[in-house]
Amino acid sequence: MADWGVATTSMGSGDADTTEESLLLDRLNRIQNNAIGYFAVHVHLSALRPNNKQQHFIDIAARTFDTLIDSADATLFSLTNKDLVLICREVPVDDVDSIMEKVRGLFSEDPLTEMDEDSFEDQFSTWYDLSNREDFADFFGVITELAVEAEQKLKELAQQRDQEKQLGDPLRPGNLAGINQKLAGMRVADMIKRQACLQVRTGGGGELIFYELFISMAEVRERVAPEINLFASPWLFQYLTETLDRRLLAVLVEEEFDELQDPLSINLNVSTVLSRDFQNLHRAVGANAHKVVIEFQIIDIFADLKSYSYARDSLQERGYRVVVDGLNPLSLSYFEPAGLRSDFIKIAWGPEFTGDEEDRRVQEMREVIAAAGKDSMILGRVDSEKAVKWGLGLGVSRFQGFFIDKLAQVIGRGRQPAAKKAAS
Amino acid sequence: MADTGDGKKRLPSQENLLLDYVRRLEKHKAGRKVVHLHLSGLRPFNRRDQHIRTAAGNFEPLIGDMTGQLFILKNADLFFVYKGDAQPQVETIVQKIRFLFDDDPLVAEEDKQPLPFASWHDADKDYESILKMAQSYADAEEKRQTAVRSRMDARAALRAKQQQGEPLTPEVLARVETALERADLSNLVRRQFICSVDAKMVPEQHFSELFISIKDLRETLLPGVNLVANRWLFQHLTETLDRRMLSMLTKTDGASISGEISFNVNVATLLSKDFQIFDDNIAASRRGQMIIELQKEDIFSNLSSYLFAREFVQDKGYRVCLDGMALDSIQLINRKRLGIDLTKLIWNPELVDDGDEVHEMLANLTREEGEGRLILTRCDNREAIDFGKSIGISLFQGRYVESLIAEDNRRRELLRLKRRIERS
Repeated sequence: MADWGVATTSMGSGDADTTEESLLLDRLNRIQNNAIGYFAVHVHLSALRPNNKQQHFIDIAARTFDTLIDSADATLFSLTNKDLVLICREVPVDDVDSIMEKVRGLFSEDPLTEMDEDSFEDQFSTWYDLSNREDFADFFGVITELAVEAEQKLKELAQQRDQEKQLGDPLRPGNLAGINQKLAGMRVADMIKRQACLQVRTGGGGELIFYELFISMAEVRERVAPEINLFASPWLFQYLTETLDRRLLAVLVEEEFDELQDPLSINLNVSTVLSRDFQNLHRAVGANAHKVVIEFQIIDIFADLKSYSYARDSLQERGYRVVVDGLNPLSLSYFEPAGLRSDFIKIAWGPEFTGDEEDRRVQEMREVIAAAGKDSMILGRVDSEKAVKWGLGLGVSRFQGFFIDKLAQVIGRGRQPAAKKAAS
Repeated sequence: MADTGDGKKRLPSQENLLLDYVRRLEKHKAGRKVVHLHLSGLRPFNRRDQHIRTAAGNFEPLIGDMTGQLFILKNADLFFVYKGDAQPQVETIVQKIRFLFDDDPLVAEEDKQPLPFASWHDADKDYESILKMAQSYADAEEKRQTAVRSRMDARAALRAKQQQGEPLTPEVLARVETALERADLSNLVRRQFICSVDAKMVPEQHFSELFISIKDLRETLLPGVNLVANRWLFQHLTETLDRRMLSMLTKTDGASISGEISFNVNVATLLSKDFQIFDDNIAASRRGQMIIELQKEDIFSNLSSYLFAREFVQDKGYRVCLDGMALDSIQLINRKRLGIDLTKLIWNPELVDDGDEVHEMLANLTREEGEGRLILTRCDNREAIDFGKSIGISLFQGRYVESLIAEDNRRRELLRLKRRIERS
């Protein structure tokens, strides 16, 4: 995805004198003595869910004010924390309102923009009448605080930018060929990691559903392309996974499936399952298909539903179980996951759901999960007890993630899981 | 499992069912008997499908009253497991079936055959050998399926290569994309009209879709290369084509893109600078005449980006069309929730064969969608139009529609000539 440069112009240098916050404070100082007709609107985009706070979203939101700025006495400041501040002089409130509605509309999926009918409070924006001394002082105080925070933040951003630089050049068709070739000839056995998927009971304790085996992308990158950001294009990354599939299968065909104690799960492309490489695995699996779970990504499924249906049927018919992966709780309400007729549906937990204490949203989510089939649901990327509780509260009982791995150890499966062999 | 009770799921093979049944039989084997009819030994012309079905039909009454269970194997053998006290009836049935084939060597010269026409087993005494037999049939069927699949795999790949050229590789993609940045593609832009069609098959144009002909692009740039061979590389290529299309739409004004138009882009493109430049350069009134077509896999690869982008473009006046729906996907995807304005359903003759239930479902869906929001595309014959109308669709696109337009133009031209002749 094209990124619109590094945030706003204000962040070009770390110099505190040129931050948008300090420019805004300058402006406030200048109008302080003659603030008649001035007002400010503080748009709290910093409070958006992380998903909605992407820089190109913020840039587009900021551009929504362009017409107003071009035609009236209005200035927009894009603050470091992603908030926007609009300073206006003698601009009809209705004109500003209509723009604000558009901006609100852009983030209509975010709880921040929900209006509470019963309250005067609006969490999305705050208006200040700058000709009123009290309002002016309040606003000045808020911005001063933000200016201090901004300085701190700029330092962090500078570090972060260094890290981003470490992400490297984007994956491109030009460098893809070389990387793909390296991958194709590489032995990946020592890069295979595993993660437990547990069925958790409310009373505590759990039962293993499977171990997911996956190739650590961090290690792959380290070995074949330390300079390249492999995730820059979802399509080219998907192309690489077709090669990774074959490497993974080459390792797994060596497995003694008769002796496998715990079921294992692997991520594959639909095209891989329909290929000869998978038939070789199937020969190795023999009568143990019930111990093998195959996970497909939703992007791959939607790219060719017919092939997916065919692959799913042929897998299920032979005793394999099928997982639909690559979803988050939000996406469940935009299609009917049950229609994909998989054995499990995996949704990724994210910190953006922690704020969901509101009854209405939780209720909505519970309904969505119930409709999709809570008994087929797996909550993935579980990194805290909070996430487990959130899931249990919605009727989900299967979990996977770092936190679950710890839990799996505690539950103390004394024996060495056989699946680990593939990883060692 | 998400699909319990769904009758549509593909059935497991009879061999697998038999094996499963025999395994479960272990607990109830007392008093059960098995007769195995070796119809695989019949001459090929005597063991066509209808012969086997007729033979199997004789067991119907005993299946109906739960006396026994019949399995018809891929090699034409029949396997009947029944309660021992029905022995006389079963013997009569087997005798009847023998008569059906009494001129086949399997019956006529039974003593010279390696296997008898029928072999009888006592489930209790011979359980182990029955189980072994069932297992070997299941294994053989498994092998057969694998072999078929692998032959298809190689065969399909070979055929695709011969017909469509060498598959696109990352190296070639890199070259194509570089070439595309400079090439003038205006002569590769094609236009297809979306029309309503009246009872006399006279089309009325509503809007037109602009697209870059992939076939012509391939012939111009890369004869001998199959650009669509790899879905992911092709998808990456479309992002480059998006940019070229946008820049052409920005430059070309007036005649060539008059009227309402639609074009395909990626969600990432809508959030890029290229789209911003395009949007800045077209007249505001033009936006209301433009329809942006998106693909489902693109939408679901990053749902929050889509939701943001959709809000952004719809607010500016563009409409959004979900392209490439088929019967399976149109039922799966919640288009209302996605905020889609228009939907394109791909015509496929199978839609007609799918029966009343499907027709009714589609008719309901068309009605719920609202007038003129569903478009039947790739209509290449009259059947498509007739079918579309029968379920309430009023907008059509495709080769057949183009031919109707051409015909209509000829007709008008003739009419004009005729009038001129009459006047002179």
